[in-house]
Amino acid sequence: METYDPDKGYVALLGWSLNAIDAADRFDRRYVVVAPAWAEAYCEENEIPFIGWDFDRLNERSHELATRLKEEGVDVAIPLYEETVEWAGAINAVLMDNPRLLGQSMLFRDKSLMKRRAQLGGIRVGVFEEAHDRGDVTRFLMRVNQTLLKLDGDPNDPIHFKAFDKSGTAGHRVIRTPEDVDNIPDEEFPALLESHLDGWEFAVEAWIKDRKIQFLNISEYVTLGYSVFVPATPELEAHRARVTEEIEKLIETFDIDFGFIHPEYFLTNDGKLYFGEVAYRPPGFKALELIERAYGFNGYQGLIVAFDPKTTQEELDAFFPEPVTGAAGHAGCFGVYPRRRVVSRLEVPENTQKHPYFEFHELSEPMEQKVTKRTAFGTHWGLAFFFGEDPHELRDLLKAQEELDFYV
Amino acid sequence: MVTTEDQSSRLAGTLDVVVSRLEQARPFAKHRHQPAVLDVVGRLLAEPGGLEVVFGEASRMDRAGLFGGSDWDAPEALLPQLVGQTLESGDRALIALEVASLLRFLAIATGDGTHRNLHADAARHFLTQVLAHNLRYFFEAANEADRDTDPDGLRRRVFGFIVARIGFGDVLGTLVEEIWRILDQRPVEVGPVKEMIMQISLAMSGQGVDPGQERLGADRLVSALFGPTSACIDDPGVDLFLDRIAALDESGLQREALGFSRAMHDTGLVSDYHAVFLRWIATKTDADFLPDTLGLGPTGKDSLRRWRGLVGDLIETAVSEHTPQSVYGLALLLDRGILHSPPIVPALQRQLRTRLTAPVAERIRLAFGDLVAPERLLLAGTLSVLGQPLGLGQGANPTCQSARAIAMWSFNDPDFVLHLIRQVSEVDSILMHFEGQPIESRDMPAGLAAGAPIDADPVSVALVPHLDRIYAEMGRRCVGRAGDPHRWVNPEFHGWWVARDCVVAVDIATGLLSDYTGFVERFCRGYHPAFNGGRPVIHPQPAGIAVTDSAARFVGWHAIAILRVETDQTGAHRVYFFNPNNDSGQDWGAGVVVSTSGNGERHGEGSLPFEQFVSRLYLFHDDPTTSDTEIDVPEEIAGRIERMALESWAADRKVPDPGSMVGSADPGT
Repeated sequence: METYDPDKGYVALLGWSLNAIDAADRFDRRYVVVAPAWAEAYCEENEIPFIGWDFDRLNERSHELATRLKEEGVDVAIPLYEETVEWAGAINAVLMDNPRLLGQSMLFRDKSLMKRRAQLGGIRVGVFEEAHDRGDVTRFLMRVNQTLLKLDGDPNDPIHFKAFDKSGTAGHRVIRTPEDVDNIPDEEFPALLESHLDGWEFAVEAWIKDRKIQFLNISEYVTLGYSVFVPATPELEAHRARVTEEIEKLIETFDIDFGFIHPEYFLTNDGKLYFGEVAYRPPGFKALELIERAYGFNGYQGLIVAFDPKTTQEELDAFFPEPVTGAAGHAGCFGVYPRRRVVSRLEVPENTQKHPYFEFHELSEPMEQKVTKRTAFGTHWGLAFFFGEDPHELRDLLKAQEELDFYV
Repeated sequence: MVTTEDQSSRLAGTLDVVVSRLEQARPFAKHRHQPAVLDVVGRLLAEPGGLEVVFGEASRMDRAGLFGGSDWDAPEALLPQLVGQTLESGDRALIALEVASLLRFLAIATGDGTHRNLHADAARHFLTQVLAHNLRYFFEAANEADRDTDPDGLRRRVFGFIVARIGFGDVLGTLVEEIWRILDQRPVEVGPVKEMIMQISLAMSGQGVDPGQERLGADRLVSALFGPTSACIDDPGVDLFLDRIAALDESGLQREALGFSRAMHDTGLVSDYHAVFLRWIATKTDADFLPDTLGLGPTGKDSLRRWRGLVGDLIETAVSEHTPQSVYGLALLLDRGILHSPPIVPALQRQLRTRLTAPVAERIRLAFGDLVAPERLLLAGTLSVLGQPLGLGQGANPTCQSARAIAMWSFNDPDFVLHLIRQVSEVDSILMHFEGQPIESRDMPAGLAAGAPIDADPVSVALVPHLDRIYAEMGRRCVGRAGDPHRWVNPEFHGWWVARDCVVAVDIATGLLSDYTGFVERFCRGYHPAFNGGRPVIHPQPAGIAVTDSAARFVGWHAIAILRVETDQTGAHRVYFFNPNNDSGQDWGAGVVVSTSGNGERHGEGSLPFEQFVSRLYLFHDDPTTSDTEIDVPEEIAGRIERMALESWAADRKVPDPGSMVGSADPGT
């Protein structure tokens, strides 16, 4: 449908996300989807503007794509996945005649570079190191625990292992024993090793324009890899001013003019904020859907206004609501993992079904009866969504789901 | 704790959230939001007051795209008889979808909603048919299986909800009409029909049904099964019935005999009492009441007089209260006069003496239980098949060719059917030849049907596994030949009487139409009496139909047999054909609705006006040895037919441009 506003920008979405395309198609700007060739027939059938591209390897052809998009009249490229972040950097460098953008995107793609850059910018980070093989991991595990004055036989404090170029919880392992080290597959190296921080982990979604935060959301993790909700509890929101400062530091340090970032932080027991990592793309775990449920604006459309160079400040002010007070309630989701080794069917627990906060789930009947052992954080079998007034009740409810069987 | 009212009003709020999301989504993204809506709908259905909420949102959900991308998106093409199955599926999302769809129909029927392709009357008619097919949920106590698949009694509540809003009046009438429509085709397998009549009977005794037109039609059906004569009008049970008839005088017995045969020939259904009566009358009285009990015409009476001993033996062995339909088969067999064909009598005598080999006996036992010896079941089935060849159906099995073959042989070549039954009875195998090479069915892998059918008649249960294998093997032996394998298989499989030319409308390699005008003209010249010099169809001819659904979309290829091309009472030419599918009355879309009665059809025939029939035909046999009538087929006939084909099954099969026809015979393209 040609309903776009010609005075506004023309955006390219890098990667295939039906939710993003749906949001773009309903929005007021011209867009084109840049995705692998397998999507072409689908796009043609559904009249979705499409350019076929294989993102597997960044190479000299990135300039070819950039030129093509420039000729097409595209103003900016928006990365939807980790794998397309540096493509967007390379393309936007050409479109906006700003070579710095490519280097910036490389920082987002390499967890080790990212951490060093943050450290240089005066941002507090935990102890970290790069690992190229299992020996590096073992050494780091030993050293961290020696520092903690552990004796032989004491249980080790865990360390975190994150494959360099994987996003979210994919490739994120918690390592406690030499056996855990042995279980790491070769293809997950190189990786970043981090000491474990006890504390409150949370994520931030920030829409940025003209080096200014246009909207900042704090997503409170109940348990990493299981559950998250927005807006956060008043206890965590109490730190909003400090969090905002931290994000401003990131904007300075990473030289971010516009776009969207998704960093993770730790608030330790002694009240210190530690930076975990940052991504220059939408988060997983349906965080944008939760934000939409709570605040009523579409996060992908938010991305488009934040990236589009032709967006005005008036438009941004009108688009984003007031943080926290602008929310209709708190929206959370829980990633369901089967807890039994053998399951035969999906059965949402009675108490969950009946809870007034429970909205719906996207779980399907089990395909196989036998549950494979989880590796790393693994992939959940689907999400259950909740919405309600009271953030504490929502948090406790999400926590309680971890002890329930959805698959029996 | 939350009360249940709160629960459904809270879920109503959630439903609003997820439906809004679905509404906003572009058509290509609808499917991402459908599961959430179905989840909430499913939970609402379990709550008191939930049905009202879903009903209130039904039209909105429809417009929002809840059914987008599924068959439910075209309500005008949905089949009411499938609803019950879906609700039994155990798949929560599917059940929620079906209920949402039913309530959408209800909203249209009651004027609370509209749909671009469906009027209130059509919606109401659909719901009425759904209710008729699911009558048992009103009257019967839930059985074990229901409790298992439907612990909340959802079906009962949904159907009750619908009845409360559209009334019960139409339902009985629709069901009765449906049963009569099926009975008009005189099926061999009457189990499903008997089941429906049983439900009507329960409904009429349980629920005060107003007397009226529906009541009359229903009464006839119920009485035909449970009490067709004065000695059994109160359904007294076999023992009491036998006592009563033993006390009757000759005129009383005469009345019983006529009452039974009238009910049987009216409906095609045989009461258990009728079977008991026939056995009793055949041995216990001096006067001969057999012709009246069987309701024979002159040919039948003549056959009976000539072969009285054999008929007595057949009754003794085949007829019992567990095999009542064999009475109807026997009556029609006698009336067809086929006993006068020399091989038939000795072949039946042979079958009376044949013991079944173990695997065949086991197959029949599996399908029909062991109340009656398998030999007797097979003989009862044989009588039905020979008496009602066009009453055969394939059951729920993908074996239309085998069912068609048995029907055509029974119609045309009855001694050949008996020959096959004998082979299978003795050795559980069939020997046929293909182009001179023997094919022994027991050596062959399974064909289209994975196992033996168990929902068909006894003859099919015995023969189909073998016929299916042989048919498949003949097809395999044609692999690599250019052209449609039916060209070689059909004559070899069925018999000399299949015409030797085979004309196909599509190019096998490309699937595109190939000289369609020539195809149509050839068929007109071969079969239409105005163009073939008035030659009637002598033997049934196998033919292939491109079956389309009620929206005229291509469904698949299907085997039928052309029986006659004649004029109906209005003088219009119609093609009368046999469809091995259990119910010939199908809507093939775009106004092409196969008729099964009222247009000159004989029992078991389906018919269509000539041009409509040809528009769905894709393969037929034609005799190459006839003289040319030199009558031209007017171009507009072929034009009209081609248009109908292109608007239905051949929509994607048009050859792009005439020039490209040149290469289309090359199998490599």
